[in-house]
Amino acid sequence: MKKKKLIRLVAGVAIIGTLIAGSSAAFMFFRPHRDVQAAKTDYSLTNSEIVSEYLKDSQAADNKYLAADGDSKILEVTGTVNKISENYNDQKVILLKEKGDHAGVSATFTAETNHKVTDLKIGETVTVKGVIRSGAAFDEDLGFYENVILEKSDLVAQK
Amino acid sequence: MKKISSIVVSLVLLMTFSAYSQNQGKLKSSKSHIKFYSHTAVEDIEANNYTSVSTIDTESGEVVFSIPMQGFEFEKSTMQKHFNQEGFLDTKTYPKGKLVGKITNIDEIDFSKDGVYQADVEGELSIKGKTKPISEKGSITVKNGNIGVESKFNITLADYGISFVKGKPSTNVAKEVEVTVLADYQAE
Repeated sequence: MKKKKLIRLVAGVAIIGTLIAGSSAAFMFFRPHRDVQAAKTDYSLTNSEIVSEYLKDSQAADNKYLAADGDSKILEVTGTVNKISENYNDQKVILLKEKGDHAGVSATFTAETNHKVTDLKIGETVTVKGVIRSGAAFDEDLGFYENVILEKSDLVAQK
Repeated sequence: MKKISSIVVSLVLLMTFSAYSQNQGKLKSSKSHIKFYSHTAVEDIEANNYTSVSTIDTESGEVVFSIPMQGFEFEKSTMQKHFNQEGFLDTKTYPKGKLVGKITNIDEIDFSKDGVYQADVEGELSIKGKTKPISEKGSITVKNGNIGVESKFNITLADYGISFVKGKPSTNVAKEVEVTVLADYQAE
């Protein structure tokens, strides 16, 4: 009788354990991507500020803004709309760049936020929130300055 | 009379030169798609990147791609995190991948005439701080002044110091990954 009870207890613990392990594995596996727009903004700055920070010391800037797991810093960047285009994924891309600056900030929107770009005009000053993917730098092989890249962007202010 | 003819000659020269310089020179692309595709018996994994910048020098044939590595997006967030981490691509330390190559048959490609041209590219691909030679074929499509490039080739992950001896990645990630490149170019 006692033995049966023990077996039952062990079996019960095993089942519960399996359930917990299984569901946490499933949670890890199906864990959704970070919602950039719902997440807190890490830094608010102008396009010129982040570009010059990168051109001054790209390694220090990468250390500050990039995360090892790819969930890098979320930025709100203010600047002048210099170019509006679309990528191969049907996402709108706006370039915030000031006259006289070597590089700008390129912000890729999403299927959900694309419509915010429709009314934007070249020369307008806007603030865009997105996650940084890479910084600005002069590339010798390309022969020009690369822009700071933001993705998962949305328009948060428009003047 | 002499003056007029010299003016005419210099005008013709100037026009020829400007027409020439419009067709020649550097093409730039900021509209691109780079896809990694890994196939194993266990699962197929795909990652897409739309953030690369590229140039083609139509005279020398030099091709350059600069690829922000954190711009690769996976369907599953856990995979994306793994991809970025130290054991895999270590994208914080090596934020950009790069391809520098040369179209060896550039003379056979007429960027001013509509058509589909085969391009043979030889060069070097740098990922995670490691540079390896590559040789691949692509196609260049010229249509109404638009220039598109398409290429598909395989890379061996171990060449770039990415190898898995145990755990899920060793069974679920292919040793050879297929890379598809699409890019749209404009005169710089």
